[in-house]
Amino acid sequence: MADRVKLQIDGKTVEAPAGALLINVARQAGIDIPAFCYYDGLALQAACRMCLVEVEKAPKLLAACTLPVTDGMVVRTETAQVREARKAMLEFLLTNHPLDCPVCDKGGECELQDAVFRYGAGESRFTEEKLHVPEAQWSPVVYYDAPRCILCYRCVRICDEGLGVRALGVVNRGATTEIAPNRGDHLECDECGMCIDICPVGALTSGIYRYKTRPWEMKHVGTICTHCGDGCKTTLGVYGGQIIRGNNRDRSGINDEFLCIKGRYAFDFVHHPDRLRTPLVRRNGQLVETSWAEALDLVARKFSEVKARGRKFGVIGSNRTTNEENYVLQTFVRQGLGTNNLDHHRTGDVVSLVAALAGRQGALAASADLYQRKAALIVAADLAQQHPLLAFLLRANWRHHQARVYVVTPGPVREDSYAVRSVRAPSGEELAAVESLRDALAAEPELVILFGDSVKGERVRRLVEFGDSLGISVQYVCLLDYSNSRGAADMGVLPDLLPGYAPVEASGAPPGLTLPEMLDAPDLDVLWVIGANPLARRALTSKEAFVVVQDLFLTETAARADVILPAASAYEKTGTVTNTCGEVQRLRKAVEIPGTKSDLEIFGLLARRMGLPFGPWRPEEVWEEIRANVSGYNVPSALLAAGGAFPTFPASGLHSVRPKPELIRSAGDTLFTSGTLGRYCKTLSSVREAPGTLYRS
Amino acid sequence: MAVKTGDVLDSVAAIAKGLSVTLRELLSPTVTEDYPDAPPKFQERYRGLHVLRRDEQGMEKCVACFLCAAACPSHCIYIEAAENTAENRISGGERYAKVYNIDYNRCIFCGYCVEACPTDAITHGHGFELASYNTAALVYRKEQLLEPPKALTQAAD
Amino acid sequence: MLYNEPSPLEVRLLTRRFGLPNSASIETYLATEGYVAFRKALQMSPEQIIEEVKISNLRGRGGAGFPTGLKWSFVPRQSPKPKFVVVNADEGEPGTCKDRVLMENDPHQLLEGMLIAGLAVGAHTGYIYIRGEYRYLIEIMDRAIEEAYQHGYLGKNILGSGFDFDVYTHTGAGSYECGEESALLESLEGKRGIPRIRPPFPAVVGAFQCPTVLNNVETFCAIPAIIRDGGAAFAALGTPKNGGTRLFAISGHVNRPGVYELPMGFNLLRMIHEVAGGIRNGKKLKAVIPGGTSCPVLKAEECDIPMDFDSLARAKSMLGSGGVIVMDEDTCMVKVALRIMKFYAHESCGWCVPCREGTLWLKKLLTRFHEGQGRRSEIDLIGGLARNMLGRTFCPLGDAAAMPTISLVEKFYEEFEAHLDGKPCPYEIKTAVRV
Repeated sequence: MADRVKLQIDGKTVEAPAGALLINVARQAGIDIPAFCYYDGLALQAACRMCLVEVEKAPKLLAACTLPVTDGMVVRTETAQVREARKAMLEFLLTNHPLDCPVCDKGGECELQDAVFRYGAGESRFTEEKLHVPEAQWSPVVYYDAPRCILCYRCVRICDEGLGVRALGVVNRGATTEIAPNRGDHLECDECGMCIDICPVGALTSGIYRYKTRPWEMKHVGTICTHCGDGCKTTLGVYGGQIIRGNNRDRSGINDEFLCIKGRYAFDFVHHPDRLRTPLVRRNGQLVETSWAEALDLVARKFSEVKARGRKFGVIGSNRTTNEENYVLQTFVRQGLGTNNLDHHRTGDVVSLVAALAGRQGALAASADLYQRKAALIVAADLAQQHPLLAFLLRANWRHHQARVYVVTPGPVREDSYAVRSVRAPSGEELAAVESLRDALAAEPELVILFGDSVKGERVRRLVEFGDSLGISVQYVCLLDYSNSRGAADMGVLPDLLPGYAPVEASGAPPGLTLPEMLDAPDLDVLWVIGANPLARRALTSKEAFVVVQDLFLTETAARADVILPAASAYEKTGTVTNTCGEVQRLRKAVEIPGTKSDLEIFGLLARRMGLPFGPWRPEEVWEEIRANVSGYNVPSALLAAGGAFPTFPASGLHSVRPKPELIRSAGDTLFTSGTLGRYCKTLSSVREAPGTLYRS
Repeated sequence: MAVKTGDVLDSVAAIAKGLSVTLRELLSPTVTEDYPDAPPKFQERYRGLHVLRRDEQGMEKCVACFLCAAACPSHCIYIEAAENTAENRISGGERYAKVYNIDYNRCIFCGYCVEACPTDAITHGHGFELASYNTAALVYRKEQLLEPPKALTQAAD
Repeated sequence: MLYNEPSPLEVRLLTRRFGLPNSASIETYLATEGYVAFRKALQMSPEQIIEEVKISNLRGRGGAGFPTGLKWSFVPRQSPKPKFVVVNADEGEPGTCKDRVLMENDPHQLLEGMLIAGLAVGAHTGYIYIRGEYRYLIEIMDRAIEEAYQHGYLGKNILGSGFDFDVYTHTGAGSYECGEESALLESLEGKRGIPRIRPPFPAVVGAFQCPTVLNNVETFCAIPAIIRDGGAAFAALGTPKNGGTRLFAISGHVNRPGVYELPMGFNLLRMIHEVAGGIRNGKKLKAVIPGGTSCPVLKAEECDIPMDFDSLARAKSMLGSGGVIVMDEDTCMVKVALRIMKFYAHESCGWCVPCREGTLWLKKLLTRFHEGQGRRSEIDLIGGLARNMLGRTFCPLGDAAAMPTISLVEKFYEEFEAHLDGKPCPYEIKTAVRV
């Protein structure tokens, strides 16, 4: 494999590993060979014939996409013959391709358009009637316009190989060949829209973005998806103050170009008609609209009063607010309100994992490790449903590097189809099944263990002990539900831990109340909920409690509130979030919803009104403070600002934690749900697969 | 001081020559326009107020491709597109312009939009009376730009 | 049954049992040196068998004419994977109908050829991929396979030699493309009949990703004779490098169309006039497609030519699959081009761009042309489009569509000109008058 060969491409001497494909070698050398069907990472097709090149001693033109390089090869990619051949291919392609670029959504970012522009096959000698087939809608999010299709089969391959969904196939033959869903007239799939994105032309179009605008009219904002914990980069297309598209065609971020339905379409909650746009206060039992000043004054007065009387606060943070907001929140609560009664909905036991690893560097897997490590073990998670990116990366690892995957889950999962071993174990009893894989796992050179919420408390420690006993390099991923679940724990939105998992006892104060303890406390005076919906599942015991809610919608918790402050969502603010693998990435503000304020701004306004000695805050300044103070977060700011993702390795000096397994509970979101927020994403519920179930065969 | 006959004759000739021009122009058709008392005349290719055209079926030609907006050097064209449905068909293509605004505060009448239009939907008309005391009134909406449906004009005739 | 009377000029080697009563039965086969070659091969080493096939100069009868012995020698015998013998009985080339008579009249000859191939490469399973339209042949083959099992020529420990061999028939689904070997393998595996990227070739990575010997029916049928009588005897029947006899399916405007077994290198004019009884109705010869519709056409004056791979290649045509299509002076060559293109446009699998779009475009263009709606510049466009397809498609189907088209435009340019300017097809008028 290490053999390297020297070849000449367009007179340029290039060195490459033997067996590499000519098209890749040329592209790496800066020589672009056009291709429609060739797609990096997917199976070879050689169907579009655009990449034909001249190779010395070959009697005819050869397809660069399937040609392995050999030593001494002499290749020419821009001769008259090659250009003429490409022009001829384009002329053939355009015979049955409708020239409706002005109304085609792809117009302006179409690979066929670009190629025709480059090779100048703009004049048509084709004077016959074109084939026409009516457009078809395959699902609420996928439309197919067969005449535009150039049959590169990228969509079929990404669905089969990339996702393992196998929703698309090919029907008919010859010029009437079409792509068709394997279910006949509709899709039953993940509705991820990868097929739309990967389509080089406008054959597959998005039901959400269709006909709304043209690509060049949009502002493109690369930010992080606010839904699951995987932290995919999604590039939001903003036109006229509205988000109208999500994709990641620039292949930036940890997800390359992968996005699931949530990352691609579930931005619609931003413009949902039920979105709160004015503060509400309760008067005579009714919530009525009021001004920001009035609402903030009321909250500040109440907080100051309760604080002065030394009464009981309960503060519940969010899984989706930024690190900066979480950091400021815990500062505000601990120093401003003088309490440790601070918690959030814990969706996985990252605290126990950090404790069990005791600061061991490199023991937490980054998302890239899922694509590179030789073996992986999935425990108690339906990865394809709950963590689509991690599932995609693992699958790609298996496809490209033959990674060996082991599965221990309570029910069937998609990973079974390629796993070397799949074991079924009821929830909570996975560790015994993991033990049964000991010999096989010990024989692997390295391993990544991903575990879900049923591995918690003591079981996490046992799992790490098991990993240590294998005698190989083992890395861990504690699977968490939402975009900043990990960040909430890292930033110390916990009753017993400060940022960086430092115990609160170090500061001399006793640990505060946990989330259920707050809700159950009969003497709670103030419940302050930031971006969470705890009352959806558990009633608030204290009838007298003054409830303040910062949220996007009138949730069950907000409905009980005395004051509701309309907050900005993750797509409307800057800051950083940390994904389930611990990689910190930056959010960028895409739009502004009039009437809302970011939680950070709300904290600052409250602090000023309460006369507290801190605030207002700017996200950039808070970030620098986090870098300086929070263990593991000293990552390069400049690179982060440039859109990079950096792994954080939190926790050193952690002595012990009191495991609280009863607090750990994943929401069990599928591909089509996203906690309370998911209810307000119309697209998620519009597809026939919604709401979906975990562990379905 | 005797007047030279030749000089007199020269003067008379000069006057006659000058007057002949006057006389000729007096008899030729007038060039001066009587605007605003009479409507002005335009060259065919005069670039006046834009007109959005309709096709033979009376449907709007504009398919909301945004190419005019892209070509516009002063960014004065704003479009919102929407999809035609079977019940509500506005244009011949798959989509139509739900909103089509031209901000005449900014338009420089360069004609690039007309050049760019792939469906010959936007054209320059001969309208030019744009003056207004209110700049807001200079943002023309689609309804103001669109040529009236043929059926309606015929009925009016 | 036989479709035509044999000609005295034939050299009947593969067709020697044709016409015998019950020729398809194993009894008839055994009575006429059946399975003798296989018994002989059991005593030979694989290397010896392959060497004998090499000596015979047997070249693939499917169309490409690749030396069979060489092909077999590419199979990695030491590979731990199972190996397969696959028979290409997807005879779809217009003008070719030789495999069908071989299977119909002498199915055991094919089975014996497969067995010997199995011995040569160490395969224990054989598949016969029969085109869907030959459904009745599947019954004949299945019956022959059944008989072979009963007589111990198939199954475990054949004739006590320790050699196991099983044979299965598999039906195609009506796609010409599946006659291309890698598409055939895809179809055999139950997938869409689309050719594979080559290399690797089927000899190394074939059916079910395993080494595979894949040959035409006629090729396998020639094997028993080669082993029985020796490769040299077979080679001597033909011309140098073109061993043995060949089944020519002569069709078109001749008096006695049919399948004739003739030695390689037999003169084409003699074939038409002496074997097939000359042109029908005393007409003059106009053109011949010498090896199925994929091959460039020969004008009448080019037809004095020995029918072997190399001679035809020199004449810029191909021997192909032996389907000789003879056309008399009343044939409209534009219509011929259209008819051929209709076939390829219908059969293009749609995989790659030039074939998928090019064949349809040419079909539409030629249709219009034949109706007299052509423009002068489009005569060159027809040839130009075909040249744009030639050598640039994924599999040879594009070439097969392009080559006859290019040759027809080149050699019968004036006929294309005769169709210009709204003129009706001159030959249609003649036909109308005659009828």
